[in-house]
Amino acid sequence: MKWVTWEQVGVDRMACAWLITKYLDPDAEFLFVPAGHKPLPEGAEPFDIPGVRLSHHRGHCTFYTMLREYDLRDPVLQRIARVVDEADTVQDVMLEPAATGLDVICQGLRLISPDDQVALERGRLVYDALYAQFASEPTPS
Amino acid sequence: MEKPQETSWVLLVYKIPSEPTSSRATIWRKLKRLGALLLHDAVWVLPATAWTREQFQWLAVEIGELEGEAYLWESHLLLNGQADALAQQFQARVDAVYQEILNELEREDADLVALSRKYQQVRAQDYFHSEVGIHVRKRLMSARGGFAS
Repeated sequence: MKWVTWEQVGVDRMACAWLITKYLDPDAEFLFVPAGHKPLPEGAEPFDIPGVRLSHHRGHCTFYTMLREYDLRDPVLQRIARVVDEADTVQDVMLEPAATGLDVICQGLRLISPDDQVALERGRLVYDALYAQFASEPTPS
Repeated sequence: MEKPQETSWVLLVYKIPSEPTSSRATIWRKLKRLGALLLHDAVWVLPATAWTREQFQWLAVEIGELEGEAYLWESHLLLNGQADALAQQFQARVDAVYQEILNELEREDADLVALSRKYQQVRAQDYFHSEVGIHVRKRLMSARGGFAS
């Protein structure tokens, strides 16, 4: 199916696209529209756009919302959600030192990528790596 | 962001139900963490960057979810000198925190871990790249003791 988000992807949307392709829709096709652009393309599920179902809710990032909406309970994914929350939103409590670095790396990935499509593809490697590392550590509950 | 007169500003005006008080406090704390300035007890302002735009936008969404109402604008200051004056207000606030760090560093038993964390937090709000911040960074790096470089 088709998924749509705003252009200039960063830490949260790279995480979401990785999650979508890996867990929800292996044949996912991603579309990009300029920030604020309306109407959104018909027949595509919007994500990380203000006001849509799959977006920030109650101070949490879109990746966190997606885990909840699709009932994904893998503790490693939950930990990645915590990291993305700290990277992408203002949090009082900071528990994951990886957050700041991950944000910078994802921004840089977009800078060295010719377009958002390629940036999402490259981002997958980063999240595969993060998942593998967290899976090898004892999971804080 | 070096030239305040060319800076765009993002402005947030909101109201939120007085109860529960925790909702008000949450939003207030986030605005403080972003380093936003409250002008005349009415308008929260930040210099516009991709990051501040996005953060204010999500904050506006959160305010809506807390049964509040938020308006978000991006604008330029039209009167001569006001952009510089506003930038200086931002700068003065971060410089005050940088100065606290420098004062603490004078102490024999300075807590370098806590001061580094304080530096990271204030640097995230240092939208106009204060010279004092560069100085603080150098002092922190040399304060780690032992080798000189």
